[in-house]
Amino acid sequence: MASVDLVDVRKAYGEHEVIHGVSIGISDGQFVALVGPSGCGKSTLLRMIAGLEPITSGEVRIDSKVVNDLEPKDRDIAMVFQNYALYPHKNVADNMGFALQMRRVPKRQIAERVKRAAEILDLVPYLNRYPRQLSGGQRQRVAMGRAIVRDPKVFLFDEPLSNLDAKLRVQMRAEIKELHQRLKTTTVYVTHDQVEAMTMADKIVVLHDGVVEQIGSPLELYDRPANLFVAGFIGSPAMNMIQGIIRPGATPTFEAEDGTRLPLSSAPSNSDGRKAIYGFRPEHLTIGGPVRTEITVIEPTGSETQVVARLAGQKIVGVFRERISARPGEVLTVGPNLSSVHLFDAASGQRLQ
Amino acid sequence: MATQARTLGASHYPTRIIIYGLLILWAFICLFPIYWTFSTSFKNAVNVTQGHLIPWMDFVPDWKGWRSVGLSPDTIGQTSTAREEFLKRFENSVIASLSASALAVIIGSSAAYGLSRFSYRFGPMRNKDISFFFLAQLILPPVVLAMPFLVLYKELALLDTRIGLILLYTLMVLPIVIWIMRDQFDTIPLELEQAALVDGCSVWSAFLRIVLPIALPGMVAAFILSVILCWNEYFFAALLTSTNAKTLPVMVASQTGSQGINWWSMAALSAAAITPLIVIGIFLERYIVKGLTAGSVK
Repeated sequence: MASVDLVDVRKAYGEHEVIHGVSIGISDGQFVALVGPSGCGKSTLLRMIAGLEPITSGEVRIDSKVVNDLEPKDRDIAMVFQNYALYPHKNVADNMGFALQMRRVPKRQIAERVKRAAEILDLVPYLNRYPRQLSGGQRQRVAMGRAIVRDPKVFLFDEPLSNLDAKLRVQMRAEIKELHQRLKTTTVYVTHDQVEAMTMADKIVVLHDGVVEQIGSPLELYDRPANLFVAGFIGSPAMNMIQGIIRPGATPTFEAEDGTRLPLSSAPSNSDGRKAIYGFRPEHLTIGGPVRTEITVIEPTGSETQVVARLAGQKIVGVFRERISARPGEVLTVGPNLSSVHLFDAASGQRLQ
Repeated sequence: MATQARTLGASHYPTRIIIYGLLILWAFICLFPIYWTFSTSFKNAVNVTQGHLIPWMDFVPDWKGWRSVGLSPDTIGQTSTAREEFLKRFENSVIASLSASALAVIIGSSAAYGLSRFSYRFGPMRNKDISFFFLAQLILPPVVLAMPFLVLYKELALLDTRIGLILLYTLMVLPIVIWIMRDQFDTIPLELEQAALVDGCSVWSAFLRIVLPIALPGMVAAFILSVILCWNEYFFAALLTSTNAKTLPVMVASQTGSQGINWWSMAALSAAAITPLIVIGIFLERYIVKGLTAGSVK
């Protein structure tokens, strides 16, 4: 177990810089998710921690020791790849024991440790099978088994669940989380799926175009997104965003482009007439309020009702616990939960309030 | 899938007959030369010229051909210069093809691995161009190379030596080996090696412990193909060897006596020469197919 620190890490291919100075501190035993859209550099970053990708500048430290120039094999890390990368010519037991074999661990001890890992992962009946004889979920487990038998300092996961079907993904998600709670090994987990990041991680790093947009706990990111990108990326359905102007005063309001007035609890200082984005999450709407919307689509799921409506000429989504009898085309009056309204600067995208 | 095939087969019975008819015809066309070679080795001059084909009906089989190379039942126990000659040529062929193929597979696999995994720049040439450059060696007709090689080998004292033949054959099959092996290595996901690196391998041990075992079927296929190509090679063997390093194909071709071609002995020699290839074809064919159809990694 160890801490992992990235200090101003950069990666360039020739002239073209893809990671622009990323600094992340991961303390011992933490589960950190690197999340972002494809091409944001999250996998590259992970591979730089693993030593599979050279670091152009900056420092990667594992357990306070700079590992920039260490070979992957000397970093004491274990990695789970997206396509599992199981050795096709070795059976499950040999796949899991290979790393120990390379470290010249005595055979009996290897067998013992493989067996223990197999028990944790329910793989005991499959130890003599070959990867091609396993299902996707089983292969995924073997890949994890290969990582845990080593008892490494750090686990690195590179989108490990993206090749599984939806149901299995949810199941494996819980299993990985449980495994982490049990082993308490420092984990860096790369995913493009914000739900995975939210549900599993202690700390989320949102990356976008090779830049860290925000680092924080899942709920911090959800409740106080630092900018428009994080606000739009975290949460499903996504946050509703309406463009307009802030009108402070005795009763501060937000004026959308078509003149619709939306309530604000307070206006940031010096914000009179400032162009801004008014954001609120679909579940932070309550029925019966000062804002008129026109219903476009109603999607009942039983536990909740999702409503797509038009507000100030823009499409918004609301999620309500109550059942709604209104029909498309009718007017629904709603009110945003004032304490959960986010304001972002229209030009910089940074959070105002 | 299975049920679909069954219903298809049942409802399209005439189609099946046509397909099997064509396949049988094609098999006949392919196998007839082999049959002809083997049957001719048991014929005498009259039977050959009159085109008798079916033993015991058209002609009475006779050991004449095999006797002339000392391989018939009655001559096999006696000393025979013809047999010694044959065995020497056979040995030359075996040594030249196996050594050249082994050398080509070792060198070719290394080159192919490099081309598949690393980016090279050689002047304006990149990996793709280098691969094509290798393959382009095959475009050159051997005749063009005949004189240069003759002069070169004379200077290097490689004329009529097995070493000379081995080197030349290695050169000849190397492009094909590189091409096959590059395809092989391309199908092995990079992540496998990276996983091995993380698991504690160096670049070399990752290659030897992970990549090589997975690429083995392809290497076997490349080796067998090389052996066949070398075994059948005639042109350079005829040009560059004489008494010492002469190979089987050259010996087969030289079975022309003063009264014309000794069909029976030529057929007997050919039969002996192609038997190893037939054995390879029958027993190792599935390895060749397996090795050449990529996607062995899944």
